[in-house]
Amino acid sequence: MIALVARRVGWTLLVIWFVITATFVMTAAIPADPAKALLGPHADTAAVERVRAHYCLDDGLVTQYGCWLSSVVRGDLGESFRSKRPVIDIIADRIGPTVQLALAAIVLQLVIGVPLGILAAVRRGRWPDRAATAATLLAQSAPQFFLGTLLLYLFAFRFGWFPIAGSGSLAHLVLPAFTLAAVGIAYYARVVRSELAEALDADYVRTARAKGLPERTVVLRHALRNALGPLVTLIGLDLGVLLGGAVVVEAIFAWPGLGREVLQAVLEVDLPLILGTVLVTAIAIAVANLLSDLALLWLDPRLRDRR
Amino acid sequence: MKRALLILALAACGMPDRDPKWRPAGATTPRRGGTLTVAMKDQIRTLDPVIAYDEASFYGLVPLFATLVGYEPHGTGLVADLAERWEVEPDGLAYRFHLRDRLAYADGSPIVAGDVKYAMERALTTPDSPFGPMLVDVVGAQAVIEGKATDCAGITTPSPRELVIRLTKPAPAFIYLMTMKFTTPQRAAHVAAAGDAVRRAPLASGPFQLESWDEGTKLVLRRNPNYWDPALPYVDELVMYENIPRDTQFLMFERGELDSAERLASPDYVWITQQPAWRPYIHTGTLLQVFASRMNTTVKPFDDRRVRQALNYALDKEHTRKLLNNAAVISHGILPPGLPGRDDALPPYPHDVAKAKALLAEAGYPDGFEVDYMTQNDEQGEKLAASLQGDLAEVGVRVRIQLVSFATLATVMGQKTGPAFSLTSWVGDFPDATNFLDARFHSRNIADENALNDTRYANPELDALLDAARAELDPAKRLAMYRRAERILYDDAPWIFDYHPATTEVTQPYVRGFELHPIWVRDYTHTWLDLGEHGERVPR
Repeated sequence: MIALVARRVGWTLLVIWFVITATFVMTAAIPADPAKALLGPHADTAAVERVRAHYCLDDGLVTQYGCWLSSVVRGDLGESFRSKRPVIDIIADRIGPTVQLALAAIVLQLVIGVPLGILAAVRRGRWPDRAATAATLLAQSAPQFFLGTLLLYLFAFRFGWFPIAGSGSLAHLVLPAFTLAAVGIAYYARVVRSELAEALDADYVRTARAKGLPERTVVLRHALRNALGPLVTLIGLDLGVLLGGAVVVEAIFAWPGLGREVLQAVLEVDLPLILGTVLVTAIAIAVANLLSDLALLWLDPRLRDRR
Repeated sequence: MKRALLILALAACGMPDRDPKWRPAGATTPRRGGTLTVAMKDQIRTLDPVIAYDEASFYGLVPLFATLVGYEPHGTGLVADLAERWEVEPDGLAYRFHLRDRLAYADGSPIVAGDVKYAMERALTTPDSPFGPMLVDVVGAQAVIEGKATDCAGITTPSPRELVIRLTKPAPAFIYLMTMKFTTPQRAAHVAAAGDAVRRAPLASGPFQLESWDEGTKLVLRRNPNYWDPALPYVDELVMYENIPRDTQFLMFERGELDSAERLASPDYVWITQQPAWRPYIHTGTLLQVFASRMNTTVKPFDDRRVRQALNYALDKEHTRKLLNNAAVISHGILPPGLPGRDDALPPYPHDVAKAKALLAEAGYPDGFEVDYMTQNDEQGEKLAASLQGDLAEVGVRVRIQLVSFATLATVMGQKTGPAFSLTSWVGDFPDATNFLDARFHSRNIADENALNDTRYANPELDALLDAARAELDPAKRLAMYRRAERILYDDAPWIFDYHPATTEVTQPYVRGFELHPIWVRDYTHTWLDLGEHGERVPR
């Protein structure tokens, strides 16, 4: 068991290293010159040359990579080219709202998606199933920019139930979290429905029913437990992705998360900020996956024997 | 689709009354007090005046920092600001500024001439300041840029209230640099003590001072009690929300959460400009900017002037105006309206397909040609490129559109091997023709990489004219030279001249004394709130 966990942790570190290295190579392939982006369109050749020299942008990719990696290992992510603010400060500022929004979205996905899925599986083929399927299809096909704008218009502008933009209170969180969760709610409902439907047809469920257990116990205790495996993996993946920031939702609701920062950094070729945010996102995804893997090991004893 | 559904939803809820909710209380003279709340689409990167060089950051800088020379409230005429007066030597080689008596920063410490010298030297010694290179005409500046000196010999302070700047050659446009925020006085000890935090620790000399800054979310400024003009500003507090998309701003504005909405997004713009009740509160201004399509004049087929002229005749500028909802002035050249030296009598190239075809045939392209066009991957860039594509197709020129980010476009345009045909734009730093024409069309600015003259247009006659105009001390003669330069560029047509953008802002009826500024866009120094007796908004 310990060896297994150690191996997973090792793989996680390797994945993080690979992601940031690939990002580094990709930023070098962008045709835009960070020095030019930093100085603005009025900069002449001499000024651009000076900035390139100042930030060691002419030192060759390998040297730059070594330089950057060694500072990262020492915990120094550098300064944003554009704002001169330490990247670590920017991330520290943005990670709070991002985590808040991500967790709120996951909770909504579970609290709404799972019961919907159970309902659909238990009432397979009847109206609750069809209604749930239609609702999930609608939620999954509504793009965030549309759903977000619609919610914003109706519930914030017209009815005034929620603030229009910004963060800082629970009321601010509701609309962005719901917009972000909509697709996930639908997806979770579908996954739970199909897994649970399969489980309900399994032999052990027939046995449980034959023992005369109440249907409620059969579904929730016996079938659902076995249907949860894929959901745990999904939560891990989702949490990682959501922690990387939600560009569209953050933009619509002026939510001060990581996503907006990443988008801006990419558009402006702000190399230290791109690399720093990708690093944090990679760590988030990898750690979330690691945790969901470990949770699965704990949930399902059969997996522990597979080497 | 998005809009249609919104309108459906709107119909379902019943049409709300969308006229102004409030009216001016009716004061005849400016009143003091109150909080003005506005928002911006982007975020403020930094409040360090030697680094900040984007519109959003300028919104923060303008209220915080005063300079020796300033602009008149709603125009580009120069007025005394921290300097009560200034003199220029007859040979144009030295400027002497006299600071006002008892100037102080927001913290009460005195502002002295040496603080302006320090600020300018700081721009010179900061490698990633975009402003240092603008000071090259100052004696000794080049040595400081190159790291051979730290003291700029051409900037001296005979007394704490006197600053003298010597130039290596006459440059009448120099005075405009003293309006730019990087020349705002800064105390060396403050900058040293703040260290890296100087970007969020502004030592204010302008009408406002920093109250708080939640980066990326909200900047709050309050009155600077030590501002040299005790009558200003009128409002006590200025709140600027950051990162609020334009359509969201408009919703907040309609709900009364904002006192002003910037650069309306197009559906809101179209709607509000048709409302008589809102008309008095809509502010429109042309910016010191130009948008066009540039051609590399050294490669085929653009090396032939007739081809470039033909494309100017082929582009239907009325399409541009329509696509921009009329928020544009069609250009005949480079210099924006209101800029001294612009020849307002010169009409834009007319849309003339026959003439364009004739010119192309004369140049040896009777069947036109195929060409790539690189533009910015945003909504406006794509729309205008498609319009250009359609117009040029009429004369047989088949355009393939390539979409890239602004940063990529800015880099590759300046490369010798970069795209021959692309979108281009220029945002003026100050209202002088040299800031537009020298940078973009003097052959001195042709380089293999990062060429500012990215049309690679080289004309010795224009070079000589621009050099002479740059140093000419007689304003009338100087402007006549720029008019001639514009005529040369009009005829040689290195760009397909297109438009100068206008911007629109709508304010609540009780917001008074606000006009869009051609340089700063938003300047709230003279803005006041016409509210009721107890500071409440008066319902319509």
